Amino acid sequence: MSYAYLFKYIIIGDTGVGKSCLLLQFTDKRFQPVHDLTIGVEFGARMITIDGKQIKLQIWDTAGQEAFRSITRSYYRGAAGALLVYDITRRETFNHLTTWLEDARQHSNSNMVIMLIGNKSDLDSRREVKKEEGEAFAREHGLVFMETSARTAANVEEAFINTAKEIYEKIQEGVFDINNEANGIKIGQQATPTNPALPGAGGAGGAVNSGCC
Amino acid sequence: MFNNFKNSFISAMEPDQSSTGWLRDKFPYGRPPFLQLLTADELRASANHNVRPIIVPRDLNLLPWGTGYAECINSGKSKWNEDQAAFCRHVLMDPDKRHPDLPYTYFGIFDGHAGYGAALAASHQFHDILHEMLVDCSELLLQRDEDNDNGIPQLNPTFPHPTYFQRRVSRDELIIGALENAFFHMDWLIAQDRKHYRNAGGCTACVALFIDGKMYVANAGDSRAVLCQRRAGARVAVSETQSEPNEIEPNPIDSLDSYPTAYSADHTPETERERLMNVASLKPHLMRQQYVTMEYAKRPHITDMGKRILCRQSTMKGWSYKTLTRNDLRMPVVNGEGKRSRLLGTLGVTRGFGDHDLLAINTGVQIKPFLTPQPDVRQRDLSQVVSIPDEHNEDGDYGVLVMATDGLWDVSENDAVSRTVFQMLSRYPKEKHRYTMAAQELVARARGKINESGHWRLADSKAAATVDDISVIVIPVYQYYKEHIEWTRNDTRELEKRRRKTVEANMAQEAANALNDIVAEEANVVEEPHIQQQQVTAQVETVPAQLTQEKKKQEDQEQRSNWI
Repeated sequence: MSYAYLFKYIIIGDTGVGKSCLLLQFTDKRFQPVHDLTIGVEFGARMITIDGKQIKLQIWDTAGQEAFRSITRSYYRGAAGALLVYDITRRETFNHLTTWLEDARQHSNSNMVIMLIGNKSDLDSRREVKKEEGEAFAREHGLVFMETSARTAANVEEAFINTAKEIYEKIQEGVFDINNEANGIKIGQQATPTNPALPGAGGAGGAVNSGCC
Repeated sequence: MFNNFKNSFISAMEPDQSSTGWLRDKFPYGRPPFLQLLTADELRASANHNVRPIIVPRDLNLLPWGTGYAECINSGKSKWNEDQAAFCRHVLMDPDKRHPDLPYTYFGIFDGHAGYGAALAASHQFHDILHEMLVDCSELLLQRDEDNDNGIPQLNPTFPHPTYFQRRVSRDELIIGALENAFFHMDWLIAQDRKHYRNAGGCTACVALFIDGKMYVANAGDSRAVLCQRRAGARVAVSETQSEPNEIEPNPIDSLDSYPTAYSADHTPETERERLMNVASLKPHLMRQQYVTMEYAKRPHITDMGKRILCRQSTMKGWSYKTLTRNDLRMPVVNGEGKRSRLLGTLGVTRGFGDHDLLAINTGVQIKPFLTPQPDVRQRDLSQVVSIPDEHNEDGDYGVLVMATDGLWDVSENDAVSRTVFQMLSRYPKEKHRYTMAAQELVARARGKINESGHWRLADSKAAATVDDISVIVIPVYQYYKEHIEWTRNDTRELEKRRRKTVEANMAQEAANALNDIVAEEANVVEEPHIQQQQVTAQVETVPAQLTQEKKKQEDQEQRSNWI
């Protein structure tokens, strides 16, 4: 499938806030109540349409645990959008947002769009963080805000798509340099590049580049 | 399950044939199945040269014993990660069920060059070939020493057909032979396939085989396997000061007592200089008058003609003077030092699979005759390891085997790797993913961080980090051994059960015969059968006693045959 643009996203936030579940709900439209701890990074992808244009989202789902923080930091590089997730039933995940935001601002490019997400909105009875608090935090730091539920799928589509819209608008405004892949945006190609270009292809033998091993 | 992955994989990555010439790939490109990077999108995201994400298995239960794995792609020298890794668990079985089964586990790591085909082929096929080779000698491998307990004295328990062999062959040598054969066969297979499939390039191979309570490491090329061990000392000091030995705090001293043992030797033009020079000297036509079996201290120039220069000829270890002639101005068969050493000015690795069509740069001379798939095989008998249970140092005593491609070893010393492994293991004392964390940390350190100008630098020294693909397997050897002991115990129980059944059946038969005889003899005494029945029962009761004796004999034999 060809696309007009490819946007790279990164999902960040404390462990157990539902980052992997959000991704799964968005890419596979299903909910997995018990999810193994994410170690390192996992990838997801989905095609969406904005303004009549096909846009591919390549989503990097990162590990939330403190121990993985230094490795996760290297994944901000070249991300066009970030979903910063907290759990509305656990106050401490909201309290850690400042640290996450600092990390994100420091290691990403300055134009990265950050969407703040209060997840698990279906568990309203166990709510510890008011919606207004999330809104206030987002306003204060210039983020977009939304409450979602990976379980019921409420607002999940919107969260990913609204972020993409914001990025798309920035492209239209000329804020993003789309020719620099470090910005997390790639212009689509005509053909699908599933087949790797190979040195020495076609069995022609011949000289091979030195220093290959 | 493995096949399911493979199938979904193949469908996801069916190659586009339009742009790639006339021959197709034998195997569609992919990452190791246990990583579950099943879609083209995931594959592409993992191959990001700017970020170089560290990929670990999504499902930790796919690899046995909690074995850790991590990899990351190069910084742009090739579009795809040309390293491959594989593992396989299999069982050798006696079709006649006379001997107990022999399970084994294999891990392989293959570093491709000049294309990904050879490494991919090896990761898909090597385990099948190895299995074939093991099955080929399984009759000898499966034969337990106690099986020979049939009253005929045997001169040598591992020597079942005295008339066939002139010398005794141990089980070890059979397994080493199977590994060596498998290496040669794999290389041959890649040679065959090049008529039908796209040029595969070449790859190194580093393979670990766990079988019969032993660990075998076979290596051809510059990947490396290092057994990381640790002395119990540091741990003991900690557990003594604490009331609960289970609650051991991560201790920085822990890793100081670690030490590495290499289980493979790198095969580079430098380390294999002697073999390469021998090939070139014995078969000078291979050089097509383009190379010399000579090494110069300083690269000679045409203006040096007639001067005396320092050199070493052929397989010489020392240096001597020679007057330079025109012929000496050709390129040396081996030149350069360390990582920069090259064979025929082209290749930096001298053993492995593939490279059948590889030609030397500038001269077009065939390189393959200088290469060999012959592996070096080293063995470790885990039954000889001394480990005191109270010390809780199983990982240190049995060791943790780190297998990695040169992406890791180019920038990490064995010592540092060993230290990192034990640092991570003490930081994650109980976690299921502790070996994965060790693998991930090793890759992260070797990959380093990218600086503002786009160069990858090591975190601690700011020296250049590796720009190559990096793949690391971290195998907890003790976990294998534990599984082996468990299996042996069940196996012995099974064997005993089977024996007891046979003995019981025999006894019952004998008893029945005896009874029949008696009945026949004393057919006219009608009142007595009751007493005779009792006698039969008594006879049967002696069976367990005989069994115990037999078992003791077995154990003695086992001990005697431990030399294998």
